[in-house]
Amino acid sequence: MQFLKDTHIKFTGHSNKAITVSLAIILAGLVSLVFVRGLNYSIDFTGGTLNHVKFSREVEADEIREAFDNQGIEKRVVQGTSRPTEYFIRMPEYSREGGIAEQVEAALAAVDPDYEILSTKGVGPQIGEELRRNATLAIIGALVAIGLYISFRFKFYFALGAVAALVHDVLFTLGIFSFTQMEISISTIAAFLTIVGYSLNDTIVLYDRIRENMQSRKRYDIKDLIDESINQVLSRTIITSLTTLFVVVVLSFAFGEVKIFAYAMVIGVITGTFSSIYVAGPLLIAWQKKLKTS
Amino acid sequence: MFKKTRVRFIIIAVVVILAGYSLYWSIAYSTMSEAEKENLKEKGELEKYHDRILHLGLDLQGGIHLVLQMDIPKLVQNLASNKDDKFYDLVEQAQKISREKDTDFLQEFKNQVTEKNIKLARYMSDLGYKNENILNQLDQEAKDARSRALAVIRNRVNQFGVSEPIIQKQGEDRIIVQLAGIEDPQRARTLLQRTANLEFKLMKDPRVTQSLIESIDEYYKSGEGTKVDTAIAEGDTSEADSTVAVKEAQDTTVSVEDILGPQTDQDTAGADSTVVVDKELMKEKPFSSLLRSGREGIILVKKENKYLVDKMLNEEDVQDLFPYNSDFYWSPEPEPITLRSGTTEEFYKLYHLNKEADLKGTYITDAEASIGGGGTAAGQNIVNITLNNRGARELARLTGANVGERLAIVLDNSVYMAPSIRQKITGGRPYIEGFENMEQAKDIAIVLRAGALPAPVDIINERTVGPTLGQASVDIGVQLMLISFVIVIVFMVIYYKKSGLIADLALILNLIIVMAVLAYFNATLTLPGVAGLILTVGIAVDNNVLIFERIREELEKGKTVKSAIDSGYKSAFTAIWDANFTTIITSFILMQFGTGPVKGFAVTLLTGVIASFFTAIFVTRTIYNYMTEKKVKQTLSI
Repeated sequence: MQFLKDTHIKFTGHSNKAITVSLAIILAGLVSLVFVRGLNYSIDFTGGTLNHVKFSREVEADEIREAFDNQGIEKRVVQGTSRPTEYFIRMPEYSREGGIAEQVEAALAAVDPDYEILSTKGVGPQIGEELRRNATLAIIGALVAIGLYISFRFKFYFALGAVAALVHDVLFTLGIFSFTQMEISISTIAAFLTIVGYSLNDTIVLYDRIRENMQSRKRYDIKDLIDESINQVLSRTIITSLTTLFVVVVLSFAFGEVKIFAYAMVIGVITGTFSSIYVAGPLLIAWQKKLKTS
Repeated sequence: MFKKTRVRFIIIAVVVILAGYSLYWSIAYSTMSEAEKENLKEKGELEKYHDRILHLGLDLQGGIHLVLQMDIPKLVQNLASNKDDKFYDLVEQAQKISREKDTDFLQEFKNQVTEKNIKLARYMSDLGYKNENILNQLDQEAKDARSRALAVIRNRVNQFGVSEPIIQKQGEDRIIVQLAGIEDPQRARTLLQRTANLEFKLMKDPRVTQSLIESIDEYYKSGEGTKVDTAIAEGDTSEADSTVAVKEAQDTTVSVEDILGPQTDQDTAGADSTVVVDKELMKEKPFSSLLRSGREGIILVKKENKYLVDKMLNEEDVQDLFPYNSDFYWSPEPEPITLRSGTTEEFYKLYHLNKEADLKGTYITDAEASIGGGGTAAGQNIVNITLNNRGARELARLTGANVGERLAIVLDNSVYMAPSIRQKITGGRPYIEGFENMEQAKDIAIVLRAGALPAPVDIINERTVGPTLGQASVDIGVQLMLISFVIVIVFMVIYYKKSGLIADLALILNLIIVMAVLAYFNATLTLPGVAGLILTVGIAVDNNVLIFERIREELEKGKTVKSAIDSGYKSAFTAIWDANFTTIITSFILMQFGTGPVKGFAVTLLTGVIASFFTAIFVTRTIYNYMTEKKVKQTLSI
């Protein structure tokens, strides 16, 4: 069996249109990110408490809200899950002092005495700040390290193309996260880094082929050469994207942080495949022209 | 390299065998029933497994993860008196800056003091007159408080009795505590944050202890405690060879930190009965056969036997045998003790003490390790203790009435030492002597101060997972993994036919190796770790896809099977190398910056990628070599 046998698609020919579409989406995402909805940071970054509670009967979210109001805890977000007996209750502070834990217990018991706290996550303000710092450092560090590695293994303008593709992916995913208001947690950051790594795989496989083709012939038209290289690796790109997609789609049936991680990965696999074909490849033409003329 | 197919197969076989051995323990452990585990635990052999198996993370088996932070600002406030608004502002300001700039609080405090030209002696005259001296003193106090907090927390965590508690120092001011499989997280939190409880309790007369031990023996011998009894009978056989050493051991327990005063020859009556020669005797004395006699009425219990002894002592009917106001207490940690035979083993000390405190730890105002100045203690390592007036009176009364007895230092129900009372102590300034070195003296001073000067500790981060959710996560994790695995495997066979099968074989081997490596390093598998494992499947497959696509291309160019395989592997390699290397880079960065869950993900991913070099390239290549070596193949199923 073989899909896409011997293709000759002129990718560089219509890359402008493709990039325009994706830039439009990114732009809309950025507008949403900066001006409209922002990002939904999880308590990993904002600090706070998140309780995952299971009741012995089906409960309405309003019942829980009222019970918390009665205990004088007004700053709480009650969020349902796919199961009508389970809820996430989020509070903006994390403290073991002042009897808050007892108040929460009293509120939950008022809803249903047979409640069970399935999990608790608490993040103090210091930790939140630290995690934000570390996450930013991690992403910047990864991009720099990768850029260096590619400049070393390929040529400098390859690194520019690769990093541009990565920035494209991260912005695209961030935009989607802002639209959908999915939570940005530590796991999401891990997903972003994995996306970076994954998208990079596609790009590197393509660049490797381009480099090989450049070395094996004396004279070439850069456009044709890139198109040919993309077509040569196309079959592999599609197969790998498909298998990875299978895996992350299955993962998205998990719950909690792994679910969001999987969602991020689904978006990332799609944008990663797209960017390696339409961003990383065609950009080489532009960079190479610039570098040659200067 | 490794041209010969046979050599390659041998290498693969070795790897598979090593991986299999590494996984054997985990498989054996996970298929064990609870009863079997309990049995091994009583025999003290379960630890062998714990050191070799792949552990499930807190998110998978339930448990609590806490990050505790020393509250140094609060400590500074506690040390000050005559506090006014100016002082509170000072602390608050320093705290704010240190948080923003991620710097040391005390350093910022110093800067603030100098900047605002504040005379600290106004608030902390006890610590000195000059600012410089006071600040140095504060540094010392903070350092001290850190070690106190660590000692207190370590002791409490050990008392939870969970199988593998983790206590880790993180940076200067943080302690990470992980308790897996704990049923009641609320209790754990309260217990860890509670102020330390220091008490002094008189040791029971050895004769009383001896007769109690005898009646416990009787109880178990009579068969009433059958459940535990059988376990001992089995436990004995495994100990048969060590009994020889034990025989010599009766007065051997060479003093490790035996304490205070000349050794009385007053025999702990237990000495006879603890020497067990044969199994018959062990059956005669099911309880005391697990005990060894130490000096001066202190009972020693081999580390492996602690769980069983504790369980036997906690039996309700046995507790009824205890005399009025008496209970058993353990030393906080096992210590190596060298027997006369030359073997060194780890023992816990077991003390039979008054249940009610004879003196409260809160009477202590200070305790300090130093070198003795005069009398019998001259030149020795000692701990000087200062009590307040009320404490001094109580101590005088207590010591006057109990000269020659031993007074145990009990912190949060663990006994750190039990010095003997040599004479009536008046004036409230006793000292303890007989330490082997300064370190030991300092440790005891820390314990003694823990009751008086609590080191404020905050919980700043927690993750708690209840056992129900843990089990649900395991189930879902396993299911998802199987599903995604099967999809990929089936897809590969459909798309690449027999070559797909080869890739699948490599894939399975890859997972086995990753699990084995994790088990070997005694790592913990978390839910994000499982996600990393699943992603590894994707990456490992990609390597084979790259190779297969290349081979197909070469075949289309009309090359023979053998040379197509050759150049397929060769030309795919650079792409595989670069692609995987960048994944390795990101995994490392994730490990560096990530916290718990992210780290778990990065570790499995990293192991998986490295293992895939071996499985996806070396192993599959070997199989192809084997296929093409014997006869010239005309077609390749790919």
